[in-house]
Amino acid sequence: FILMLSLTLGTMITITSNHWVTAWAGLEINTLAVIPLISKSHHPRAIEAATKYFLTQATASALMLFSSMTNAWSSGQWDITQLTNPPSCLLLTAAIAIKLGLTPFHFWFPEVLQGSSLTTALLLSTAMKFPPTTILLLTSHSLNPTLLSTMAIMSIALGGWMGLNQTQTRKILAFSSISHLGWMTIIITYNPKLTLLTFYLYSLMTTSIFLSMNSTNTLKLSTLMTSWTKAPMLNTTLMLTLLSLAGLPPLTGFLPKWLIIQELTKQEMTTTATTISMLSLLGLFFYLRLTYCSTITLPPNSSNKMKQWSIKKPVNTLTPTL
Amino acid sequence: FSWSSLGLAFHRTHLISSLLCLESIILSIYIALSIWPIKNQTSATLMQILILAFSACEASAGLAILIASTQTHVSDHLRNLNLLQC
Repeated sequence: FILMLSLTLGTMITITSNHWVTAWAGLEINTLAVIPLISKSHHPRAIEAATKYFLTQATASALMLFSSMTNAWSSGQWDITQLTNPPSCLLLTAAIAIKLGLTPFHFWFPEVLQGSSLTTALLLSTAMKFPPTTILLLTSHSLNPTLLSTMAIMSIALGGWMGLNQTQTRKILAFSSISHLGWMTIIITYNPKLTLLTFYLYSLMTTSIFLSMNSTNTLKLSTLMTSWTKAPMLNTTLMLTLLSLAGLPPLTGFLPKWLIIQELTKQEMTTTATTISMLSLLGLFFYLRLTYCSTITLPPNSSNKMKQWSIKKPVNTLTPTL
Repeated sequence: FSWSSLGLAFHRTHLISSLLCLESIILSIYIALSIWPIKNQTSATLMQILILAFSACEASAGLAILIASTQTHVSDHLRNLNLLQC
């Protein structure tokens, strides 16, 4: 299937690049390959999501190219790891923030996830975040720490706040991914390996949630309430995975948060650490609401229908027990 | 470049104008990149061709999306893109 192949090709090109134009080319290949995936269903919502996605990603790519060009004008070389021009660093962080969906530029993300099908949304929020994070990692020693940490704190706050009133599960997951991205970027200037760890764990947990939601086809909170009739084991694992995504201690999701807070206190940024842990309480509220809704039933529908749709069950039972 | 990006940020109606601004951004980058080897006596022609090819692909993808959105929504005014509100 050609689109998946070109997606992997684009990601590989961006990861293994040491010249700005190859990184830009890989990102453009990714964008071009994902656009038909989003708009496959010919539903007006899908097409609208595709337009928003295309516009934001194209501007971000152009900004990235422009920042690399100003850097080349001032320093005479096109290497990724050597960014010497401060305004171009600023533009570059802005461009990557648009691509990832960090807070001053997150407005496209919930609507795009809402308009795409569940598997495409999964792809968008995990795989498409990988190349920009690699670029951030490669340039993390020359970026502006205060700007990055303010964007990260704002994105954790906004991800928690705006997720509070949502009933569509895809939008909830969009806001959860925004806040997780905030957690990832707050540590990137101090310890980039923690960013990678957070990204891997986050993508693992999010894939299991998306796949379990895909097999029971729950797009709204009300559908989530009656999903226990279809596959009860899947429902319990979904609950555990959701709690892990929230970051509760005995589950896997607590590990990146703990390490990040430890690293931040080592760097004498204790106020930052307390603010982000307070703000993740907001996210905890809607994760808890999701788990509550998935384990308490709705009275009219109590028939035990065992429809076997889920193919990815082993994935979901393994991830909470990691 | 900054004029084009301002135009992209402030497009009011008509998606076509935002696509135009995107193209002018890429074009300004291309022109600036063509001037750079003349100043520094290096050659960057492979980069130029690659950038041109990819920006042409992006523009055609944008046009395809424009056509698709005009088929499903009635016109390409930006006010019609509100199906996905919170």
